[in-house]
Amino acid sequence: MNRNMNADLAAVDGRRRLNMDKLLTIICFVLLFIIVIIPIFMIIYNAFFFEGTFSIDLFKEQLTADKNLSAMWNTLKIALFATILGTIMGVFYAWLLGRSDIPAKGLMRALFNIPYMFPPFLGAMAWDLLLNGRSGYLNRFLMTTFGLSKMPFNINSIAGIVFVEVSYYFPFVFLQVVSALERMDPTLEESARIAGAKQGTVIRRITLPLVKPAISAGALLILTTSLAHFGVPSILGYAQGIYTLPTRIYAVIYNSGGSFEGIRQGAALSVMLVAVVALALVLQNKILSTGNYDIIKGKSMRPTLIKLRGAKAPLFLVAIFTLILIVFVPLVMIVLISFIKAYGLPLTPGNFTIAQYLKVFKAGGTLDSIKNSLIVSITAGVVCMFLGTLVAYVVQKIKPKGKEALEVISVLPYSIPGTVLSIGVILAWSGNLGITLYNTLWIILVAYMARYLSFSMKTSSAALLQVHSSLEEAARVCGASHSESLADITLPLIRPAMVSGFFLIFLPAMREVTTSILLYGPYTRTLGVQIYSLRDAGMIPQAAALATVAIGLIIILNAIVTQITKDRKGV
Amino acid sequence: MANVRFENITIKYGNHTVLSNFSLEVESGQIMCLVGPSGCGKTTLVRALLGLVKPETGTITVGDRCLFDAAKRVNVPAEKRNIGIVFQDYAVWPHMTVIENVSYPLKKQRRPKSEIRQRAMHVLEQVHMVDYINHLPGQLSGGQQQRVAIGRALVTNSDVVVLDEPITNLDAKLREEMLIEIRMIQQRLGATILYVTHDQHSALQLCDKMAIMRQDGSLSQYGTDEDIILRPADRFTFEFIGVSNFIPITRQGNELYLDCGELIPYPGLPADSEGKEMGVRLNDVVFDHDSPVKAKVISRVFLGSENSYFLKLGERDIRVQQSMLDARTLGTVEEGETIGLRFLNPHFYSKKEANPA
Amino acid sequence: MTDQIILRNVTKRFTTKTLGDIVAVDDFSLNVKEGECFSFLGPSGCGKSTTLRMIAGFEDLTEGEIELCGRLVSSKKKNLYVPPEERGLGMVFQAFAVWPHMNVFENVAFPLRIKKMNKTDVEKRVKEALRHTSLTGLETVFPGNLSGGQQQRIALARAIVTNPKVMLLDEPLSNLDPKLRETMRFEIKDLQRKFNFTIIFVTHDQSEAMAISDRMLVFDMGKIMQIDTPENLYNKPCNRFVHNFLGESTFIRVVLQDGKVYAKGDMSQTIDLQIPQDADEEMVVATRPNEITLVGETESGYKTHIVKRIFLADRTEYLVQVGEQMVKIQTPHRVHFKEGEACSVKFLEPMWYPADDGTEDIDRERRQIV
Repeated sequence: MNRNMNADLAAVDGRRRLNMDKLLTIICFVLLFIIVIIPIFMIIYNAFFFEGTFSIDLFKEQLTADKNLSAMWNTLKIALFATILGTIMGVFYAWLLGRSDIPAKGLMRALFNIPYMFPPFLGAMAWDLLLNGRSGYLNRFLMTTFGLSKMPFNINSIAGIVFVEVSYYFPFVFLQVVSALERMDPTLEESARIAGAKQGTVIRRITLPLVKPAISAGALLILTTSLAHFGVPSILGYAQGIYTLPTRIYAVIYNSGGSFEGIRQGAALSVMLVAVVALALVLQNKILSTGNYDIIKGKSMRPTLIKLRGAKAPLFLVAIFTLILIVFVPLVMIVLISFIKAYGLPLTPGNFTIAQYLKVFKAGGTLDSIKNSLIVSITAGVVCMFLGTLVAYVVQKIKPKGKEALEVISVLPYSIPGTVLSIGVILAWSGNLGITLYNTLWIILVAYMARYLSFSMKTSSAALLQVHSSLEEAARVCGASHSESLADITLPLIRPAMVSGFFLIFLPAMREVTTSILLYGPYTRTLGVQIYSLRDAGMIPQAAALATVAIGLIIILNAIVTQITKDRKGV
Repeated sequence: MANVRFENITIKYGNHTVLSNFSLEVESGQIMCLVGPSGCGKTTLVRALLGLVKPETGTITVGDRCLFDAAKRVNVPAEKRNIGIVFQDYAVWPHMTVIENVSYPLKKQRRPKSEIRQRAMHVLEQVHMVDYINHLPGQLSGGQQQRVAIGRALVTNSDVVVLDEPITNLDAKLREEMLIEIRMIQQRLGATILYVTHDQHSALQLCDKMAIMRQDGSLSQYGTDEDIILRPADRFTFEFIGVSNFIPITRQGNELYLDCGELIPYPGLPADSEGKEMGVRLNDVVFDHDSPVKAKVISRVFLGSENSYFLKLGERDIRVQQSMLDARTLGTVEEGETIGLRFLNPHFYSKKEANPA
Repeated sequence: MTDQIILRNVTKRFTTKTLGDIVAVDDFSLNVKEGECFSFLGPSGCGKSTTLRMIAGFEDLTEGEIELCGRLVSSKKKNLYVPPEERGLGMVFQAFAVWPHMNVFENVAFPLRIKKMNKTDVEKRVKEALRHTSLTGLETVFPGNLSGGQQQRIALARAIVTNPKVMLLDEPLSNLDPKLRETMRFEIKDLQRKFNFTIIFVTHDQSEAMAISDRMLVFDMGKIMQIDTPENLYNKPCNRFVHNFLGESTFIRVVLQDGKVYAKGDMSQTIDLQIPQDADEEMVVATRPNEITLVGETESGYKTHIVKRIFLADRTEYLVQVGEQMVKIQTPHRVHFKEGEACSVKFLEPMWYPADDGTEDIDRERRQIV
């Protein structure tokens, strides 16, 4: 009976008026069709159809090319290792911070979140500067100090790519597992102690199996993100000719000078990439579905912390070292390089200057790129905030026929690699359908909207679920019309969720490269693209300077967000 | 003040009929408790009264105002019905302060500001929430949120106020206090109250009249508390209102016996009780040394205000509640002893069908 | 019978950020005998769970020592602490705490597997435990697919499978519905009879505690209020808190003058009661709604009238005015008065408490927290 209640009001209203609800549903479907369905359709169409006829020649040709096969192999290798290592690291630190009595937990937790905030390609840049196989600063330092004849490390390798990706992606697992550990009923572990199990046995037999769903969910995120990732392999891999599918797609299109033929080849490669990601999703789904149980119950009690005793100091040192390695070293390196007179000079005070900053900002593109990024990110954030809420409202409250489809469509673009999405957007909006947005900011905006819509949809959805139907009904009974109860009750209640939905889109959009690298035109570089291009053109100190500015921006924006979310009252 | 009449209401969800030709009247200025097991359709009836669900057939009137008539295609929208409601989960709006919550219905009636303030304050006085007018619901306890919800339901001087399981989420002590408070508020304002609950105990404490619904959505009995307790219309009401022992009765030769594995004679069984079951409340089984019906005491549990006994009568389990007063005057019996039983106020019902509703 | 669980001067202090230092358990001494079913009863936050967790070994003591089955397991003075897994206890938690990733059999077998018992013995003992908890046939089912009652039975089976001497039950019935609660109560007593363990049963539900315990302990604010059998506790509570906590209570403020008892606010008639020796001028007479008799106005007793009559399924309740107070009386249906009718009331053997023992203030404080 309860199941029907949400639909009751809709049914009563539906019969009485020519209604708002139907209109909202239709708007939803139309917008999602334009933003999501058309680009995806265009990729598939162009990969398999040439001038109106079905043909898999192109596809076959691409699939058998050696370069593409090795790219695919690299993609898989990198993703696999990044996932395994990232998961181990995430689980280890989650347990250490969630269950043991290690000191300075709050601070460490905040610091472990930092890699989550920054774009991995900046990390790749920093590590390239440090451990480049030919000229890395750290490499050279180690060579001279220990009198080695060879560079000891080479970051421009599969292992290097894996290392950088792990250091940026392990928080996916870390955050999931920490929160699972916190929600877990501590009596589950205590009853194992009572049953006679020692602490180590409890971790192995009870704790780890119970957080397995969280681990798998985090690992899946690492896997899919790594498969589709462009920044790190492109920065570290190009020099050594190491390609992955996303960088290969970029190269194909870039080398063909943006010709239609190149884009078509890219589309065919995209289908391969999508297939790999889909395979990963299916596999993970299988693993996930076997262990789905609810561990959130029981009275909230602070869990008994496990005393590390003798292992406390060494483990604390290991944690501190990890933090320094993955958080501070890259950031410090980028900042230092941004002040150097010329790339390659030793890092001595005499070689420092602020000239790079002046140069970067005198160059016309820089300010424009910041402005472009702000415009596109804010617009995408605002539009998605409303559109996502609209979709969420239709799905949760109106519940029309086909709401499942609506849900799937809005989440779909997020599981598609950004590179692939860009190709779809290019195919759809560069004249094929009579509308040309290529080389304008609009095309980037459309891509961002498709890519990030699910973020705001999910947060608004969760908030709407919290708004029990009786709250709206109470308003109706108190004399409010349908639209008044929406305006007075529902919208104010989900406003906080809408705002955080906006920031969830705005922040990653500000540092985006993967999608925009294929979509930018001469006047529509984004901040990420600008940094990438500067570095690509060899102007490394200038790239570092702009990166430092970007890092500053990200820190300031994050601080603002925390402030806003903290001040919010009520609800 | 006005009465509420439901006539021939039928409500379906898809193919599932929740209510079928249901009729009921709530008398003006009274508290009517609608009681039934959960899922019997009582909440659906309330939702029909509020205009949140549309019946297939029938009419709903409040006083001489018709709110719904399937035949005449009358269906007053929810926002124009002017019925106060308190939901089980209170449904106070978490983003509005106490006074904003209570003022909202008046605002929707476009009353002047000064009047809104004055009436809201008056109602908040009635529910003892004046000290909290600027609190947000999140800062209030369950009982206090409940009072806000009641205040909001009363503020427009609705003729009818519906309380849908309003105290289920409160603890026992607070529940009792709220019941007394609801009663006092009703006496001050004289509104007609429809109180819906699955808890017969609180219904009995509160009601003027009571209606009992069966699981299938039909009405079992309508009457005063005494009617329902002393003269239950059928087995459903009898069982719903309290726990009982049931003993089948069989005839052998010319005599009627209690069938407890062995046949036990019990004088005074009515002639038409053959083949039926005798239902006796746990506290209507009293110890009487002179009675020929002898049972063995399996256990006695001291529960403070009463003793709870498990007895074996033949092979049948009999449960007895002995109040402390009786325990003091008549004495207790201990495990292993044998004791005579007398059954007060027996009710005779036909045996349960194989597939009870 | 020997003492199986001994607590000596146990004290537990916490330091919290919001409230500062808290004494959760204050200088607590207790002996529980072998085979006894002993309840800790008290409102939430009274320290009963903390005490149980100290016995289990999940919490350190701030002071004092604990002895289990003749073996010292916690002692602050000797700096001794035996971890929970070595205390040889059985324990059942409120939220069941059955492991969702193991099936019923594996859940129950876990304690034996930890002990590295051989396979056939494990199978035999698990079967036995499952039989006693009516779980036979559910061996391969996962707990997520079972009802709350069944999950709690798994927890019980897991606790008895090692045949522990001491069983700690931390509100094991609170998450079950009322009907099931009663059944499980009997099942626990039954298991105790069969396996002969000592029970410590923590609950906030007085009727549950009274029904199950041989002796019980009423806690408040980390202090022992009273230890006794259920009947003695109910009939002779040592103070108003215990009186009120163990069942519905009626407290009547009375004034003593010239060896006579008057209800406060009504000096026109006396109440016929035996005055205890060291009574003050103002006292509180404590009784229970079903220990007041209601008789016709012509009979002796305190003269008053019926204010309100409430007809309930198993009794009738009347409110009458006694002095400045409303007093609730519960009678069987056969006692019949109309609202407004004159009547007399008599109090059966009430308890006497000082008028001003701070109970009311504490009560008010507690209400505000709720």
